[in-house]
Amino acid sequence: MDNFNSVNDILDFAIQSEQEAVEFYTKLSQNSNNSQMQKVFSDFAHEEMGHKARLMDIKETGIMETSSEKVMDMKVADYIAHVNISPNMTYGDALVVAMKKEKAAFKLYLALSERVNDPKMKELFLSLAQEESRHKLRFELEYDENVLKEN
Amino acid sequence: MADQEVKYLKFKTYLNAYCPYCHQSFNVEKKEVKQLNFKAVYKGQEITVSLSPYLDVFEIETSVPINEGEVLDDLICPHCNKSLINKEMVCGECGNTVAQVIISALSRLIPFFICLKRGCEWHGLTKADERRIKLKIPRQDMPEQDKTMRIHNHLEVPYGYTSELASLEAGRCLQCKTPGCVDGCPVNVDIPSFIKLMRENDYDGAAKKIKEKNVLPAICGRVCPQENQCEAKCVLGFKDKPVAIGKLERFVADYERKMDLVRIPVIKNKINKRIAVVGSGPGGLTVAADMAQLGYSVTVFEASHELGGVLTYGIPEFRLPKSIVQFEISYLKELGVRFELNHVIGNILTIDELLEHFDAVYIGVGAGLPLFMGIEGESLGNVFSSNEYLTRMNLMKAYKFPEYDTPMPRGNKVVVIGGGNVAMDSARTAIRTGSTEVTVIYRRSPNELPARLEEVHHAEEEGVRFRLLTSPVRYIGTDYNMVKSVECIRMELGEPDASGRRRPVAIENSNFIIECDLAIVAIGTGPNPIIFRTAPNLKRNKWGYIDVDPETNETSIPNVYAGGDIVTGSATVIQAMGAGRIAANAMHKKLKGN
Repeated sequence: MDNFNSVNDILDFAIQSEQEAVEFYTKLSQNSNNSQMQKVFSDFAHEEMGHKARLMDIKETGIMETSSEKVMDMKVADYIAHVNISPNMTYGDALVVAMKKEKAAFKLYLALSERVNDPKMKELFLSLAQEESRHKLRFELEYDENVLKEN
Repeated sequence: MADQEVKYLKFKTYLNAYCPYCHQSFNVEKKEVKQLNFKAVYKGQEITVSLSPYLDVFEIETSVPINEGEVLDDLICPHCNKSLINKEMVCGECGNTVAQVIISALSRLIPFFICLKRGCEWHGLTKADERRIKLKIPRQDMPEQDKTMRIHNHLEVPYGYTSELASLEAGRCLQCKTPGCVDGCPVNVDIPSFIKLMRENDYDGAAKKIKEKNVLPAICGRVCPQENQCEAKCVLGFKDKPVAIGKLERFVADYERKMDLVRIPVIKNKINKRIAVVGSGPGGLTVAADMAQLGYSVTVFEASHELGGVLTYGIPEFRLPKSIVQFEISYLKELGVRFELNHVIGNILTIDELLEHFDAVYIGVGAGLPLFMGIEGESLGNVFSSNEYLTRMNLMKAYKFPEYDTPMPRGNKVVVIGGGNVAMDSARTAIRTGSTEVTVIYRRSPNELPARLEEVHHAEEEGVRFRLLTSPVRYIGTDYNMVKSVECIRMELGEPDASGRRRPVAIENSNFIIECDLAIVAIGTGPNPIIFRTAPNLKRNKWGYIDVDPETNETSIPNVYAGGDIVTGSATVIQAMGAGRIAANAMHKKLKGN
């Protein structure tokens, strides 16, 4: 794991993570043998590009809006077993992959916040964690609404 | 007034009628014939008139013949000789003169109006009094098997209305001029008309009226969620309980069947075009019936060895007897529809191959792919999808083992995951296998249970337990990989999200164990993938369901239509039928043009 010497180091790391997510979903889109799922993953990649753009904006302006409001954690991602990534994935599978990815990012930022002493850096990591939590919730809500209809 | 003291004007109630002036009774009994006797004036001549004393019975006797459509000049009290004409009112049906008498009902005297035009059937109360009195007629309960007895058999639970109960219930209908119930029905059955025919004791006519729009009334009367459809729009429901439309539909359909009144229409004009229907569920059967009655040659392809789709494999015998399903299907056979069993379209024949031999294809394969939660332990032995469990029990008749050679999945302690009708069916089936404990586990609150209230109520009566705001997190197995318990977590409803809905959120460290030796996962289904393997150009949405033109239900492949669960995801029988009707109409319009 990288050492973070400044706020910019953290933002560069987060931007790089979002870029990796863009590339991850773009690859899934290219490998899918279903035209609908190609579009789904392409849309996910687009969303990650939006996240990346936001972080770049924060780096440029130095302004990051933080909120003390706790993001709901439905814990849908917590108990679902790993989904195998394949060209035949369904939309439900795609949502699980996405929510688990966001959860992993959330946990990473949370862990990183505990590693730094500087209050500004800590606050930034926590904000990033909160942002990932929101991303996870977005996928969990869609899963809850459409896959878990009768549960 | 306590409920048991309330008397109500039921259809064909005996009326005690009095003069509003001298208060003497018009009722007489002559040689055991009961009548209301009046004097009248007709074409300047004094005559006598006798009316039936029964509400909504229109027998009339006059001392001189009066032709249909002719109007009496006056109706007169035979005691005080005063005219009974009410000059301030006219007949609500034909606008002619009305006479007013007083009837005694509900411990009060109520004005009762009689139209003086021969043949006009209008007589009754003011609309206000009618609403007040008819509201007093309680919604008639359906007689059912006793709850302790019925868990030992798979016989149908509701017995159906008797003719007396049906008559009473039919009498509650207000015959609204703008009936909301018709719009509430996905196939727009003319509900007030069929109920009116019931009130005239023309049950056969009532059945035929329903069948103008719904070819499977015996099935819909049993399984439709009327409380969300026609009955939800019933005006009576705004202040009291709605008319039991579904129960009346069932009565009429059963009457037609039991009295052998079903008549096969003669198809006069045969059309030299062939239709293929994939799937013999409610949507496919509707398309087959509609197209056959239009004169097309129809073949239905069914993947399994029995017809009916979800009506046969999904819904248990105690909710929908298979003899009823088979009877409805035999009607289609009489219409000339051909059925091919054990034909898995997508394997035996592709859609393209069907189009080489048929002019149009309807895909009604449903959504039978089981969904699992994806949690740890789901691959343990005795963890079933509800699809597999119900298919074994219903289609393969495991509940009749060893008469049928299908072993019955058994468990002493059964858990059912999910809160829909399928979960209720699974739980109620399990309890009939002798399980000592059957528990439904559902992660949301009671208000959000998607199952019909009637089914939840039946399940509770039969001893099914409910663990709400609870979600399984993993199954735990024995040393030989059979499920022995399920670890659950308690849930609570979080703050409303952007949609206003409160989502279930797990409560930290609230895990607990429920022992079970059989688990049934009934969280929903997905689209059957088989047909798509050989139809890559059949456009689907991201959920895997077929994309159709909403006006015609035609797919991305010309002359291929689709409807029901394979388009919408899990929905109801009647919605599948409605989709089938739209597709049949569109097919016919297009093929006629060709």
